[in-house]
Amino acid sequence: MTGFVSDPVLEVRELSTSFFTDDGEVKAVRDVSFDLAAGETLGIVGESGCGKSVTALSILGLVPRPGRVVAGEILFKGRDLLSIGREELRQIRGRDIAMIFQDPLSSLNPVHRIGFQVEEAMRAHDKVAPSEVRPRALDLLRRVQVPDASRRMRNYPHQFSGGMRQRVMIAMGLSNRPEILIADEPTTALDVTVQAQILQLLRDLNRDLGTSIILITHNLGVVAGLCKRVIVMYAGEIVEEGSTEQIFDSPQHPYTWALLRSLPRVDADRHERLRSIEGLPPDLIAPPQGCKFNPRCPFRLERCFSEDPELEPVGDGHVAACWVTMKRAYAEMGAGSLVDTRPGAASGVRPPIAPETPGLSGADGHGLAPEAQDRD
Amino acid sequence: MATASRPRRKTVTSALPARPPEGTRPEPPGEPLLRAVDVVKHFNVGVGAVCRAVDGVSFEIRAGETVGLVGESGCGKSTLARVLTQLTPPTSGRVIFEGVELTGLRGESLRQQRKHLQMIFQDPFASLDPRMTVGDIIAEPLTNFKVMRGKAKDARVQELLRVVGLNPYFNNRYPHEFSGGQRQRIGIARALALNPKLIVCDEPVSALDVSIQAQIINLLEDLQAEFHLTYLFIAHDLSVVRHISQRVLVMYLGKIVEIAPSDDLYTNQYHPYTKALLSAVPVPDPRVESQRRLVELSGEIPSPLHPPSGCRFHTRCPIAQVPGVCSEDEPPLEEKAVGRFAACHFSARVRTGLD
Ligand SMILES: Nc1ncnc2c1ncn2[C@@H]1O[C@H](COP(=O)(O)OP(=O)(O)OP(=O)(O)O)[C@@H](O)[C@H]1O
Ligand SMILES: Nc1ncnc2c1ncn2[C@@H]1O[C@H](COP(=O)(O)OP(=O)(O)O)[C@@H](O)[C@H]1O
Ligand code: SF4
Ligand code: SF4
Ligand SMILES: [Mg+2]
Ligand SMILES: [Mg+2]
Repeated sequence: MTGFVSDPVLEVRELSTSFFTDDGEVKAVRDVSFDLAAGETLGIVGESGCGKSVTALSILGLVPRPGRVVAGEILFKGRDLLSIGREELRQIRGRDIAMIFQDPLSSLNPVHRIGFQVEEAMRAHDKVAPSEVRPRALDLLRRVQVPDASRRMRNYPHQFSGGMRQRVMIAMGLSNRPEILIADEPTTALDVTVQAQILQLLRDLNRDLGTSIILITHNLGVVAGLCKRVIVMYAGEIVEEGSTEQIFDSPQHPYTWALLRSLPRVDADRHERLRSIEGLPPDLIAPPQGCKFNPRCPFRLERCFSEDPELEPVGDGHVAACWVTMKRAYAEMGAGSLVDTRPGAASGVRPPIAPETPGLSGADGHGLAPEAQDRD
Repeated sequence: MATASRPRRKTVTSALPARPPEGTRPEPPGEPLLRAVDVVKHFNVGVGAVCRAVDGVSFEIRAGETVGLVGESGCGKSTLARVLTQLTPPTSGRVIFEGVELTGLRGESLRQQRKHLQMIFQDPFASLDPRMTVGDIIAEPLTNFKVMRGKAKDARVQELLRVVGLNPYFNNRYPHEFSGGQRQRIGIARALALNPKLIVCDEPVSALDVSIQAQIINLLEDLQAEFHLTYLFIAHDLSVVRHISQRVLVMYLGKIVEIAPSDDLYTNQYHPYTKALLSAVPVPDPRVESQRRLVELSGEIPSPLHPPSGCRFHTRCPIAQVPGVCSEDEPPLEEKAVGRFAACHFSARVRTGLD
């Protein structure tokens, strides 16, 4: 797709993962395909529940019950991780592909000292020589800027702040010199000051060690400073993919466009009302027909209710799944000056049949009420 | 959902109970809605140890204003919020609301004043009782203050649900049936029930996705215009605080270190901590991000059990003179320019750059 210089280290092909719950099949990830090149930084963004974490867990073979991968291939340097043995996969996990999670406390063992846990991460695999393990643990903790590392190695997790624990997780993740680091909301629970330091750390690792990074987040601001390429997910599917410049300068999917406009910017020079996205992401047991974004989309057309758009090229290495795309929404629907962001507001298109009962998911959104213009 | 049922807001206003007669206590001209004077809140934690959560804070909030409060985790924002809303008494200092010193009130007179001060909490999951229906949650303040009963109360609950953008027929449901954003709306409806004058919003959007965050921020702005509300808005994200507030208070380790109008804050800072906070905020623009110059703070936030001597920020400040004036003398919060307050011995150097 994009003009890669090197071969991809990771190729995800038509991945679908479901949870088989009492209420039905939750289609958490649908038909997701992407490549990760060696040394690349890739962002995956979308609201909570859009399938970002399940995508990451699928790559690592860690999808919890009652979930499982129902289709697809995950090729790590050409080998399909979905068809290799458990033990082999366990070796790859942590050694070649490492993951850090949002909540570092739940991934650290409360009864072991920090230093011991970093060393164990290396002993579990045979990539680092036994004599190297201890000095390397100290070196890693210094590299992730744990102050006074030689003393603090002897501390327990509860003696560390949230940001410091996340640094330890990164140190453990890096201990076996993995080729890929997957960071799932690594800074969401942290102060902005700590977040900025962690992001700086990830940038340095990518530059100095060439580690490929997948950064998962709901905050596009976090992606802008670290990632070269961005995937936007909605309701379990990729709805747009492009270079960071393309996604930020000319988003083509209305969802991407709306996500960008819902963020307040600290450098804004005047107060503008935020353009919120009305409503909530759909229930993945019974997602809407046609385009899954249609219940919330200001630009929807009649066909959006029946036909599901595929990813189509909208630029060089830039794809989006939308019947309208923002280029047309700007040209024909006045997207540039749109104030009312309610569903159908720009196109005037209402759903073909009214929902029979007032459902929970409709509660945040509003229909096209006549006083649509009285806000702002 | 019933699209025609979005009420005109005016109807809602007229349905609200009348405020206690004005004029019983005329506000002196220029008197702020709320004034905090040297508020201190210490917690005794174990033998002889004292946590100085809030350690001498003074500021004002004018009627109709939104004041933002930012600072890193543990700097005392929530504690200050709880003292202001009289959920907990201060160790010392005064909180003056509409000219009445709340900190001197007891019993029924304090209870009556509390009606005017409401709070919205960060965690929409933890702050709503899971065993109560949404209707009962919202009606609880009405019941407690015996403002309304029976049909009038039910009607009021339905009005409030509508005002916050929820279906009025949700009153019989339970909190777990709602998403985070919807639960936050329930918390807002409850805070509005008694027609308060000041609402302290303690990280109301920090736990929410960006899209839902925008819905709630817009709702709070709409409600403010409609009901003439005054907000103290707490968050650790400066972009959110700057967006919603007219003035921003920056807090560090129990003290206010800078007060600034939101408009000026991004261009000028008089305290190095404010500058560091600003430099850390991610901007959703790759070009801006590639120019980012992070003001690095060394080390971790010190413990409020043992705040550093002199200026509390000196252990992390990139321009501190240590040993010297910064570790010896505590800088007072002073007016450095019109409307600009900061507590730093070297404010002028912050302005000319820390790089
Ligand atoms: N009831 C209490 N007993 C003892 N210490 C307390 C108590 N409540 C708060 N503290 C301490 O007071 C300090 C300030 O806490 P506070 O909750 O006000 O911070 P905050 O700025 O709201 O932080 P956050 O951003 O994490 O919400 C912290 O060190 C905290 O541990
Ligand atoms: N253990 C589970 N059981 C049932 N459904 C799940 C489970 N984990 C995730 N899901 C569902 O899968 C979908 C995607 O979830 P997730 O990948 O965690 O979202 P994100 O990381 O984008 O916030 C959601 O609808 C979620 O409810
Ligand atoms: S315009 Fe149609 S296809 Fe495009 S996002 Fe909106 S609903 Fe989906
Ligand atoms: S008084 Fe000194 S230590 Fe404190 S903020 Fe100013 S320069 Fe830094
Ligand atoms: Mg997730
Ligand atoms: Mg707090």
